[in-house]
Amino acid sequence: MKPLIVQTASLIAWCVVEAFAAAEPLSITLPTETAKLRPSNLPGYALATQKCQICHSVDYIEYQPPGMIESQWVAEVRKMQHAYAAPITDDEINPIGAYLAASYSGKQAQEIGLQPSTAPVPSSQGATMTDVKTLLDQNSCLNCHAIDKKLVGPSYRDVAARYKNDPKAVDTLADRMGKGSSGRWGGIPMPPFPALTPDELKSLAVFVLSH
Amino acid sequence: MNLYDERNKLHRRLFLQKLGVTAASLAFAPLYSQADTETLAFGNGIRELVAYPQKRPLMLVTARPPHLETPFAVFNEGVLTPNDAFFVRYHLPNFPTSIDVGQHRLKVTGQVNKPLSLSLAELKALGETVEIVAVNQCAGNSRGFSSPRVFGAQLGNGSMGNARWTGIPLKTVLDRAGVRAGSKQITLRGLDRPALPGTPEFVKAIDIDLALSSGPLIAWAMNGTDIPFLNGYPIKLIIPGYFGSYWVKHLSEIEVIDHGFDGFFMKTAYRVPDNECQCVSAGSTPEKTRPISRLKVRSFITNLRSGENVSAGHAINLQGIAFDSGSGISSVDISDDGGKHWQAATLGKDLGNYSFREWHKTWEPQDKGKVALQVRARNRRGEEQPAAGLWNPGGYAQNGIETLSILVV
Repeated sequence: MKPLIVQTASLIAWCVVEAFAAAEPLSITLPTETAKLRPSNLPGYALATQKCQICHSVDYIEYQPPGMIESQWVAEVRKMQHAYAAPITDDEINPIGAYLAASYSGKQAQEIGLQPSTAPVPSSQGATMTDVKTLLDQNSCLNCHAIDKKLVGPSYRDVAARYKNDPKAVDTLADRMGKGSSGRWGGIPMPPFPALTPDELKSLAVFVLSH
Repeated sequence: MNLYDERNKLHRRLFLQKLGVTAASLAFAPLYSQADTETLAFGNGIRELVAYPQKRPLMLVTARPPHLETPFAVFNEGVLTPNDAFFVRYHLPNFPTSIDVGQHRLKVTGQVNKPLSLSLAELKALGETVEIVAVNQCAGNSRGFSSPRVFGAQLGNGSMGNARWTGIPLKTVLDRAGVRAGSKQITLRGLDRPALPGTPEFVKAIDIDLALSSGPLIAWAMNGTDIPFLNGYPIKLIIPGYFGSYWVKHLSEIEVIDHGFDGFFMKTAYRVPDNECQCVSAGSTPEKTRPISRLKVRSFITNLRSGENVSAGHAINLQGIAFDSGSGISSVDISDDGGKHWQAATLGKDLGNYSFREWHKTWEPQDKGKVALQVRARNRRGEEQPAAGLWNPGGYAQNGIETLSILVV
């Protein structure tokens, strides 16, 4: 009898291993992010749009306590740079802090929230800039995208593949980069880049689609 | 469309039915954007209720990385917090969204005689399975009530939960690996990672004495079923009596080290003032800090909310929960005169020292008008809750006596 028991036991063990090996991975799909930064014509708005959402959704900012003063917001931005390695230069800390204080700290913030500024954010680089590498650097594109692998957002190669048969691809992509987009590549939204001119957007779209 | 989307849709439907909202009225918009809200009793405290995979609609703190808080009414449903209502908190944006349990490994490395790489099946086969009911509380639970307010996740009182955890003692695993003499700490990490190369990894550390004590376990089940994905599937470290930041999710690597670990989430973040109250005067900076560790004694009324009305001369049954870091609750008292007089409540069933302890007390409001209804607990070490919330810069380890403002009519 003994050999039979061993055989049965090893058969059970084999089945267990098989069951694990054959099991489907457990996968989840998360709800799409909906929070957006409050629009502003302060220069820190464009910077915050580029930098903050690389690592976290902006409901984190929306829910902070009312009444925090500008120096507190500036300290918080500095913490993001120092402690968490957010790609923020020293010169960008104060403008981002000033924008966050003006937009999220109480009465003034509510007014801004109710009446979002539609004024275009002035481009810090001027209208003639079309050098793609500079655009990619200045707008922190490569913090979220890479040419050939998914980071926070899709790879440029995947974007190019999806649009390869679309004759309107350049205009479509340029529009989505300027205005922002969500839901096309998973739950993390592409923030708007309102500071970019139509020519700059077009240059970037052509660059992305070339991969 | 996967199983969990279907499940969420079902929850959503049940939830909406409760609210008397029909699906037709929502057809023009994404379901979640129409979600109900929960209001926390501090400025900017309105939270959207959003259903995540395997979860009923919970209060959204942040979408990425996911951070969800339990609506407080859940704590009146029972002494164990249901898996689908248990709070969720990640630190880093590159968290897993798909895990193949057959491929998942727990590695034990460092100062050990025999490094291990264990599948879940191998882990389960290492020794006797144990079970414990224990509270998992976020270090920042109740941070939103800090006065003055502090930056960070603005949490109400729902970033805690009590569950029955099933797993194997951490000590069993470490003994199998053979911890070398002179080891000081173990570091713990799971599958979540930063988005940027310079962002600190989420790694926690505990002293070797705690690691080799009978307390910590590596759990694979929560309230009798698999741990929900967002709570750390397939295995999670449980350290009864300690704050949740140590309860590493998707546990994948334990390293035994012969020195004190100085990573960011021990050396810089999750620290409290190095004194008995873990507090400083409001707005000031502590001279010395230490890593946050054990839970403080707390208690809550769960069947009444601030702002509710009760009838004068009608007795009602107050009920709630209390917990501490594992000495056990010795008494719970109620006051309806703002803390001048206290009456003892009756403690409920004892599920172990690390569990929520239920309590109840018959209360007959007498005079009409506004009443400050309070609850306080004392543990078996004689520790009590402070009259008001103590302050520290991180808003950590809050445990002031809770006060409900009730109108007697």
